[in-house]
Amino acid sequence: MPIQQRLLLIIGAVFVFFFVTNKIKKAKILMGDAIFWVVLSAILVLVGVFPELIMVISAKLGFMSPSNFVFLVVVALLLVKSFTSSAQISLLTHKVEELAQEIALYEAKNAEKDRK
Amino acid sequence: MRVLAVVPAYNEEECLADTIRNLVATCPTVDYVVINDGSADKTWEIVEREGMNGVCLPVNTGLTSAFRTGMKYALRNGYDAVVQFDADGQHDPRFIATMEEEMASSNADIVIASRFLDGTVKPSGARGAGSRLISWLIKATTGTTITDPTSGMRMYNRSMIEMFAKGFDVAPEPDTVALACRKGRRVVEVQVVMHERQGGESYLKLSSVIRYMSRTCLSILLFQWFR
Repeated sequence: MPIQQRLLLIIGAVFVFFFVTNKIKKAKILMGDAIFWVVLSAILVLVGVFPELIMVISAKLGFMSPSNFVFLVVVALLLVKSFTSSAQISLLTHKVEELAQEIALYEAKNAEKDRK
Repeated sequence: MRVLAVVPAYNEEECLADTIRNLVATCPTVDYVVINDGSADKTWEIVEREGMNGVCLPVNTGLTSAFRTGMKYALRNGYDAVVQFDADGQHDPRFIATMEEEMASSNADIVIASRFLDGTVKPSGARGAGSRLISWLIKATTGTTITDPTSGMRMYNRSMIEMFAKGFDVAPEPDTVALACRKGRRVVEVQVVMHERQGGESYLKLSSVIRYMSRTCLSILLFQWFR
């Protein structure tokens, strides 16, 4: 991997790391959810500093260049993350609906008691 | 048989009062509950002013969630059957008794009020095409003939009430009818006449029709095999 690409990768990953830790500091993301991003940025830094492993794997798998391999891995990871986020939103929607339903039924029951 | 009419209402101020009056006058033995789904208009004020039996969702959560609220209400108050009944005056309460008789005599889990059981031809155009497609999909995947899968007037028995109240993603839509068929539940239809909507806006706006059709078709074709 050319040195420019390695530098870009490291700078980007460090930026992500500080962005995420800043969000934790401002209480904008749960630590449990931030782990993914912190670990991902740490891995990218490692890839930038020690590209040899990636170069060997990408050559073994027949990639034209190691950066193609890095792109593919990142895209795949993001797709997985995007789906799990989608599933998480589904579950949250379901929970919000359940809560709204329970509030509605609870209030109706109370109103009925008051009438009696 | 204790029957509850679940009437989901989202911005139905125009005709809710007439619909409920008509329902009570026609079916004095049937209880009802209006589910106000976080309406932005005066729907809830009308419910309170008229002294109707109602439940008020604090936010708009959609037809499925509103209906499920009614199913929980039915389950907790020990009803034997629930009829899904539109607030806009499309459904004629005279047929609730017909559906009740059919449910009792055929021991059905779901009774659908069909507009096309007697051979009435489905309308041409997008609506008819959508209905035909869903009928065909249900026939192909479950072997059951449902002449009017998109009819919004359906009666559910105790076990279906429980399925709605406790399930995840159980919608009062054709895909649940298909799922019930596949799970060996008994689904029958009775012939009815329906009216034009008397006012208000449908849940199914033109913009959401594509979403509705793709969800329904995919659910029938694909997802029900994994449920």
